[in-house]
Amino acid sequence: MSLSAALNKVFFGEIVKGLGLTFRHMFEKSVTQQYPHTKPRLPDGYRGIMSLLRYDDGTERCVGCALCEIACPSGVIKVVSAEEPGRPLNRFAETYTFDVTRCVFCGFCVDACPVDALAMTKEYEWASENKRTLFLDKEQLLAIGDRNFPNRGKKPAYLGSIEGDWYVERVKAKSYPEERETA
Amino acid sequence: MNMVTQLVVILGTIGVVMVTVLLHVAYLTYLERKFLGWMQDRMGPMEVGYHGLLQPIADGLKLFMKEDIIPSGANKIIFSLAPILSLIPALIGFAVIPWGDGKLTLFGVTFRPFVTDLNIGILYLLALSSVGAYGILLGGWASNSKYSLLGGLRSAAQVISYELALGMSLVGVLLLAGSLSLVKIAQAQAGGFWHWYAFALPFPQIVALVLYGIAAVAETNRLPFDLPEAESELVAGFFTEYSGMRFAFFFLAEYANMILVSCIAAIVFLGGWHAPFPFLDFVPGIVWFLLKVYVFLFFFFWIRATLPRLRYDQLMTFGWKVMLPLVLANILITSVAAYFWMR
Repeated sequence: MSLSAALNKVFFGEIVKGLGLTFRHMFEKSVTQQYPHTKPRLPDGYRGIMSLLRYDDGTERCVGCALCEIACPSGVIKVVSAEEPGRPLNRFAETYTFDVTRCVFCGFCVDACPVDALAMTKEYEWASENKRTLFLDKEQLLAIGDRNFPNRGKKPAYLGSIEGDWYVERVKAKSYPEERETA
Repeated sequence: MNMVTQLVVILGTIGVVMVTVLLHVAYLTYLERKFLGWMQDRMGPMEVGYHGLLQPIADGLKLFMKEDIIPSGANKIIFSLAPILSLIPALIGFAVIPWGDGKLTLFGVTFRPFVTDLNIGILYLLALSSVGAYGILLGGWASNSKYSLLGGLRSAAQVISYELALGMSLVGVLLLAGSLSLVKIAQAQAGGFWHWYAFALPFPQIVALVLYGIAAVAETNRLPFDLPEAESELVAGFFTEYSGMRFAFFFLAEYANMILVSCIAAIVFLGGWHAPFPFLDFVPGIVWFLLKVYVFLFFFFWIRATLPRLRYDQLMTFGWKVMLPLVLANILITSVAAYFWMR
């Protein structure tokens, strides 16, 4: 053992080094997020609770095709479709139930939807003492969509890109269908 | 009449000391959590009161409300006795701790800043710290649980190993002071920090102070020597089966012991209530005393935040093969130095 190594051992060199490190960290800014007081910044692709969307005129987008039900890996969506009264060619979801307790927030339902009637919101504060409040029906899902997408734009982050322009065009085309006005 | 007033004064002093110690113990838990948090880039308790200042009170209330469970296989009498046996020695140790100097005479009644001045103060404290180990050992045995028993056994082995180094590291100072009374030892260190036994001629006891510090950490079962309650190995060690108030008693005992060993270090090595420079004498002695105690307590937290737990054989090897020879060498050199110095 060399002299410096011996001195290092006698005077607890490594321990002193460690003590210095912890002492320095005492004056560093803490990384703690005081969560209920300060909310975290969510990433752009964050997937919170699912919601149902409307067209700008307030009618539901959902056509009751139940593709979301098929796409859902945990089987939490149940759709019962029905004919729109007076318009036999149009269908809509008579009941649409969504069980948040078993949802895995994968977003497959949103991908599957052919009419963009579904969207993942950034809501995550859904803790509850009553499990029944987490079993949502169509009105509740529409309400979530209304408060999260007040201007009916589903993916505002994409605006300006080619993909986004295409998307906006498509939304516009579907938002103001000629048939609806005349029917 | 005189005896009655004397009794009232003594009881009053005891009451004041107990309340002070228990308050310090309560806020020591808060301080520890804060310091640990800061050292780990966290914040520590923040919710109850301003920056979590009421957290110890909330914790105390919670422990009062908790269900008091006695395991079905436990020895009920010893199980109930053990926390008390652990806490009482930690608290009555404060009887001989001098918090300051001088006396105050009001209406013919003399008040002193300590409960009593035993002429065997240090011996009394060392004896009590060994009795405290009985609480841990019996509590571990009476719980009828593997983890508790192992924790208790480890505590017994650890206390025996480190009690020696702890007592021996104080012997150097006893040789120089020529007294076992804590008041006399503190009084002998008046007049600046170069008269404190840690730095004083003929032989500075700084090595003994470091060794005492290590032994004190081991004696109070704190990290990195917290093998009796090693949570990653033994759940919670000797108090695995304890809950509610009995758990709180063990908890209080641990922190009271921390304050007690810090008080001994401050008095024996760092001059007790004396100011580091004579021109600072206008500051009350209790301020200096508490400052020294809290510096020592800060080391407890600091070491806890820095070092991982030792393996058990490392603990024993360190205690017997490193600590003991070093304290014996310290006694030898100190006695030779004291012999020639005093001639």
